Amino acid sequence: MEQFYTKSEQVQNIIKGLSLTKTLFVSSIILGEAHTGKKTLVRTLFPDTPVVSGSNLKEVKRALEDHNELIITDFEKLTHQNGLKFDNKRIIATANHIGNQQIIDKLFAFIYTMPPLKDRIEDAYYLKSLFFHEACTTLTAKEDSLKLDALAMDLTSNAQSLKKSIYEQVVYHSMKSEEIEKVLYAYLLEHLQGNNAYKEYLALYEKPLIKAGLQKFGSQLQLSQVLGINRNTLRKKIYEYRID
Amino acid sequence: MNTASIDFKAFVEWDNSPFVLFNNHGKILYLNNAAELLFGHATPKEIYNIALLYAPQSFGYKTTAIDLNFDAFSFYAVTVGYENEEQIAIRLYNKPRIKQNIPLQKEKLMATDINILLEANIALFKIKNNNRLELLTDQEIPSFKIDQNSFSKLLRKILDTFVHSHSVFIELKLLIGEHIVIGNKKEPIVQLKIDADTRCSDTDEEIIALIDTTHIAYSFKEHSIRLDIPLIQ
Repeated sequence: MEQFYTKSEQVQNIIKGLSLTKTLFVSSIILGEAHTGKKTLVRTLFPDTPVVSGSNLKEVKRALEDHNELIITDFEKLTHQNGLKFDNKRIIATANHIGNQQIIDKLFAFIYTMPPLKDRIEDAYYLKSLFFHEACTTLTAKEDSLKLDALAMDLTSNAQSLKKSIYEQVVYHSMKSEEIEKVLYAYLLEHLQGNNAYKEYLALYEKPLIKAGLQKFGSQLQLSQVLGINRNTLRKKIYEYRID
Repeated sequence: MNTASIDFKAFVEWDNSPFVLFNNHGKILYLNNAAELLFGHATPKEIYNIALLYAPQSFGYKTTAIDLNFDAFSFYAVTVGYENEEQIAIRLYNKPRIKQNIPLQKEKLMATDINILLEANIALFKIKNNNRLELLTDQEIPSFKIDQNSFSKLLRKILDTFVHSHSVFIELKLLIGEHIVIGNKKEPIVQLKIDADTRCSDTDEEIIALIDTTHIAYSFKEHSIRLDIPLIQ
């Protein structure tokens, strides 16, 4: 059986609770921010249970008539929650927020809260490594050309932002100059207009050049030598681009 | 009618209401079966003091209507009597524990291993309270019929009253010799007792309202909650 990876004690208790109730006809709900793994967890634990989205009340009602065991995702989107009857049914729901607390309290016996990834840092590291391997495979990038530890994690939208940030970083590191040219070409083709475009879009090249240079060489003096430009010109551009 | 030859002792012995005979120092001279069970929840001194408090002014018998509660035992009256200076007797009148007005909705009840249900609730509780929790349970308790969803909701709400406790002790056992009468049937009792160093009683009324829709008897104390659950099969 597929397993849901977690090192979080809180999530392990959710898994324990849900596993124990697999034989019982009780209603459970997992609340938590979007992209924290609620649906994945439920589908892993109940692989054969029919799934219905809370965004479609008719479908939910029909599924409740047809099945004794049901997964309802996006429960917060479900209208007329108060009229639902879960007697003698095994219901597992997921919701991104609680909505009406009284109704949730009345309908569900087990109310779990999935912690966000920022509170499950070991789980975040695990997903980071997973997304990294996935990104390298998808983008045919060499894994050894990048250090996993050096990749930053964006957890603002949990797994979604984490995955996006890892893919982006793999792309940045694996791009060759021709590909960067292609990216700029596509961007400029779409946005180029006005009467001062040369100066405006030069920043696309100059700003990252100076930022990266300052980080790599430390001093403005050294960078001006590497770039082969006058120190005053460099200082003027740093001021112009508001680079710290 | 000449009743001199009839031995009434057996009737007292098997009376469902507790009967205790004390000497004038509060020492028990005799107690019936029901009183034996009561002394699991009340001290002889407590009962003796009640006997003295409600004793008639002179030799004879006096019945007083009072509300007395000792955990799950509730009484609505006592009769205290004495015929000499050496002995005093008290009989406590059981309040009926049957909730006759609640019909048993058998279609909602499902055979359940209560240990699984309890463990699942403990897993949920541990997410909120990671402090020391001890569980003493009897794995031999047979499956019995219960409304799984409502009972789980009740357990969740009860355990939530201990969410700020530093140590929680949960005991689940089959009570020997005690029954809950539902309809005309005597059902054995499974007792769930939760003790802690502290307890929040803010939601007690809500919980009691929930219990009142079931056939479960309860006792709420400052630091503990006890449920007597009928073992319906």
